[in-house]
Amino acid sequence: MGTALLVFRLAARDVRHHLGQAALLVVAIAAASAALTMGIALNGVTTQQPYATTRAATHGPDVVAYLTSAYQATKLVDASGVASHSGPYPVASTTIRFDGRLADVLAEGRNTAPAAVDQPLLTTGNWVRSDGVVIERTFADALGVSVGNRVSLNGKSFAVAGIAVTAAEAPYPNLCNGTLIGPNPMASKFSNACPPSFKIPFLSLPGGRELSSSDDVGLIWTTEADAIGLTSKANPLTTYALNLKLTNSDDAQAFAYEHFQSNPLAVSTWEGLASEDEKLVQDGQGVLQPGALLLALLAIASVSVLVGRRLSEYARRVGLLKALGATPSTVATTFLAENLALALFAAVVGLVAGWLASPLITKPGAALVGAAGAPPLAPSTVAEVVGLSGAVALTATLVPAIRASRGSTVDAMNDVARPPRRRGRLVRLSSRLPIPALFGLRLVARRPRRALLSAANIAVTVTGIVTVLAFHAFADNKLSGAVALTAGGLSNPVINRDEQMLTVITVMLVTLAVLNAIFTTWATVIDAKRASALMRALGARVRQVSTGLVVAQVLAALPGAILGIPLGLLLFMAAVKGRGGLPSPLWLIATFVGTLVVMAALTMVPALLGARQSVAEVLSSEAA
Amino acid sequence: MQQEVVLAMLAKEPSHGYELQARLGQALGPLAEGINEGQMYVTLTRLEKGGFVARVDAPTERSDRKVYCLTPAGQERVTEWMSDVSWPRPDLSEFHMKLIVAAQGALADPISIVDAQRRELLRRLRDVTSAAMEEREGSDAALLLEGIVLRLQADLRWLETCETSWTERSKNR
Amino acid sequence: MTTEEPMKEPEKSLVRARGLRKEYGRDEGLVRAVDDIDLDIARGETVAVMGPSGCGKSTLLHLLGGLDRPSGGELWLDGRRIDRLDERALARLRRREIGFIFQAFHLMDELTARENVELPALLAGRSPRDARTRALSLLEEVGLADRSNHLPSALSGGQRQRVAIARALVNEPTVVLADEPTGNLDSTATYEVLRLLARLRSSGLTIVIVTHDERVAATTDRLISMRDGTFVDQTRLTGGTRGSLADLAGLER
Repeated sequence: MGTALLVFRLAARDVRHHLGQAALLVVAIAAASAALTMGIALNGVTTQQPYATTRAATHGPDVVAYLTSAYQATKLVDASGVASHSGPYPVASTTIRFDGRLADVLAEGRNTAPAAVDQPLLTTGNWVRSDGVVIERTFADALGVSVGNRVSLNGKSFAVAGIAVTAAEAPYPNLCNGTLIGPNPMASKFSNACPPSFKIPFLSLPGGRELSSSDDVGLIWTTEADAIGLTSKANPLTTYALNLKLTNSDDAQAFAYEHFQSNPLAVSTWEGLASEDEKLVQDGQGVLQPGALLLALLAIASVSVLVGRRLSEYARRVGLLKALGATPSTVATTFLAENLALALFAAVVGLVAGWLASPLITKPGAALVGAAGAPPLAPSTVAEVVGLSGAVALTATLVPAIRASRGSTVDAMNDVARPPRRRGRLVRLSSRLPIPALFGLRLVARRPRRALLSAANIAVTVTGIVTVLAFHAFADNKLSGAVALTAGGLSNPVINRDEQMLTVITVMLVTLAVLNAIFTTWATVIDAKRASALMRALGARVRQVSTGLVVAQVLAALPGAILGIPLGLLLFMAAVKGRGGLPSPLWLIATFVGTLVVMAALTMVPALLGARQSVAEVLSSEAA
Repeated sequence: MQQEVVLAMLAKEPSHGYELQARLGQALGPLAEGINEGQMYVTLTRLEKGGFVARVDAPTERSDRKVYCLTPAGQERVTEWMSDVSWPRPDLSEFHMKLIVAAQGALADPISIVDAQRRELLRRLRDVTSAAMEEREGSDAALLLEGIVLRLQADLRWLETCETSWTERSKNR
Repeated sequence: MTTEEPMKEPEKSLVRARGLRKEYGRDEGLVRAVDDIDLDIARGETVAVMGPSGCGKSTLLHLLGGLDRPSGGELWLDGRRIDRLDERALARLRRREIGFIFQAFHLMDELTARENVELPALLAGRSPRDARTRALSLLEEVGLADRSNHLPSALSGGQRQRVAIARALVNEPTVVLADEPTGNLDSTATYEVLRLLARLRSSGLTIVIVTHDERVAATTDRLISMRDGTFVDQTRLTGGTRGSLADLAGLER
């Protein structure tokens, strides 16, 4: 009982004493936790198999065919293997206008009565009626429209009666409805790459343009009468959609091959659509996973550096506790308790933040059931995130904790550790240099381990920045095919999501990197407090001493920055599995130089602030 | 008791012997214990003989009480003493010689002599330290005791040096 | 080695060492910090150990207190052999049997005076309330009851050492070990600590003090001089002086 109070008290006091470092620790771990939470949420979207859910809820078809005449349907409907069907439904191509935005849409004419196959599930509002249309959910989001608004189709005004999801089409903007059938249909899987310029010749847009898959076309449902009403002499009805349910769903590919061998682009199978949906999620993961990995690494590095710096202080505390009769396990516990508690707190903060932010990433899968809003916080998610944070804290502090608790009590207590070693050559070299350089060089030589820690810190920072740059280059590459904003003014939800994720991750990385940098520079100045005061006592000017500190910092930062660039690139490559584009060398050089400049500037601040304290005060205080 | 001290006490005002004794006691605290009235009167008599002090009969209840006062010669002596800077002599040379003659004449083991002296000084230090601890901080006696403590510390350190030195000498023989 | 009285019989010793050794390094670099020491300290005895810097007196104290393990020899505390104990048992020893006072005080800066004194009690498993009561009463004894909620940074050197002394006593140790307790203190503070030590002595505690200060040494029962890792002299300080106090003042008769 008493020991518990003791551990708590020591931990609480220590945190209060070193609030800045504790805050940095919390931020680092919270960022990693948030990323992890979002990753899990995104993962949850796939594992929930929303496509399957949607398919079940809407009686999704196994095969969707696009026919040029209603007559063609009769043959298919009677084909062997077909269990039920709905349609053929007239599909008119038209344009929709809302709130200044303009887009091409396919309007599918439906009955007011529910269909046996592919009855879209309403998420809000009601089904089609005369003058009332239903809009596919993702498209509705992109268009910015909701139930009750009025939209203009082909110049005519309609009310938005409802918003629905379907399993018969890929959600906007991937209205890519073609199955590529290869030489061996049984073995062919849906190819992930829609040829950028494939056309459906019989589907044409107003103005005689032909529809290609790179056009962002939305999907709406109207009454049959309204759909036909949207056609005209200039824009005739040329397409009918037929939904088929087979006796055996697995036969979909074979069926499609059998009947559409010569016209493969006119048919979709449910497997193809499912993998289209999956692509969306994988896409997102392609951005999120490397980001999360990087954040986790940065977090671990930050934590290790933070803890590493406190080691000698911890050692002293450990020595004293041992001298007063604490067992090795008690000592290790006090050491770990504080960091674990901080880590757990950070985990919770990150968990909540990630949970709140996750709708951002799961939204584009919104065409599907079960993927809207913040996913419920599953106990497993909580356990994973908290567990991981705890593990990070544990790893970073366990080894030092054990080492400290086993060392000699007396030495630890008196902080005998290692007195700075004299490096004759370095001293001789430095005596030829101007004062700031001399001071800076000797500072680094005095405490090489501290300098190394500093370098490690900066390496991590630069790695982070480089990875972010690489990311952006990669993302630009990837997304350059697609347009963020269509000509009509609609935003591309996938790109939006990807960009948002990228932004969030970038912000987190950069924040962590900046905090790291601030902490490192501040630590450099603090470590050199006594030496700085001595220099001033011996007659050096404040500016010389401050510059010296800057020199010391930059000297330590140099290897870190040099190392960080290739590390960052390597890390990024590993994360995207070699599919990445690289940032331009100009940016890399800018990062390198920029980091050093920023570190120098950041060092100046605590250096000049520290110079305010009188020399006598510093030299007479007990702590070295 | 230093004659000059008694003279200077009389410079303030003519006093009876017992009054002087009282003032002395207050200033010396526990160290005044060894001094009795008799010594005071002996000193006063000597001073009288030297012409520095005069005795005046003062009519009081007690028959054998006289008042002492300064003569002009005595006053001059006091003024001289106030600006005198000679310092009480520490007599180390005697002990130093004691060790040397003991060794030379094989009279005793110098190291044993040093040890014995150390023990004695340590005991004295113990007594003085105890007395110092009991004094009120800032009192006159406390100040004096501090001076004695410091002297004893210095002497003890010298004795330790003697011990080291004489041990070396015996090794090298 | 010179003594005035024979040593007490080993059976009565509270602390007993035979052939105690502590060595560092190897071959030419071998340093014998403590070189074959025999020692007996009786219950209730106060012993001072003096010697030049580097003579091994602090190392000896660390060995006696279980802060360090000897390279050789035997060490008994209260009839129990302690030189071969494992870390857990040593920790227990430090908690229950030994109170250590350091030259640099070694208080925890983030804890108040009271919390510092409570520390060993909590480590020993006392309930928080029990520890608190004990701590406050000890702080009262050392005259710092009104500063129990102050941080060490708000206390003078002498006050800090007194807190450290209270801390050393909180678990009612068998023996108190003090390493240069007045080393970092000015004269006034030294007397504060001396007074305390005198009180501890009269209450029957067994105390071993390593010191540079002759004043401190003079208040003990026995003074051991150490050089190069061995004892070179032991002096019993009991008994009165040959002269009177007045003699010391140079007051002529």
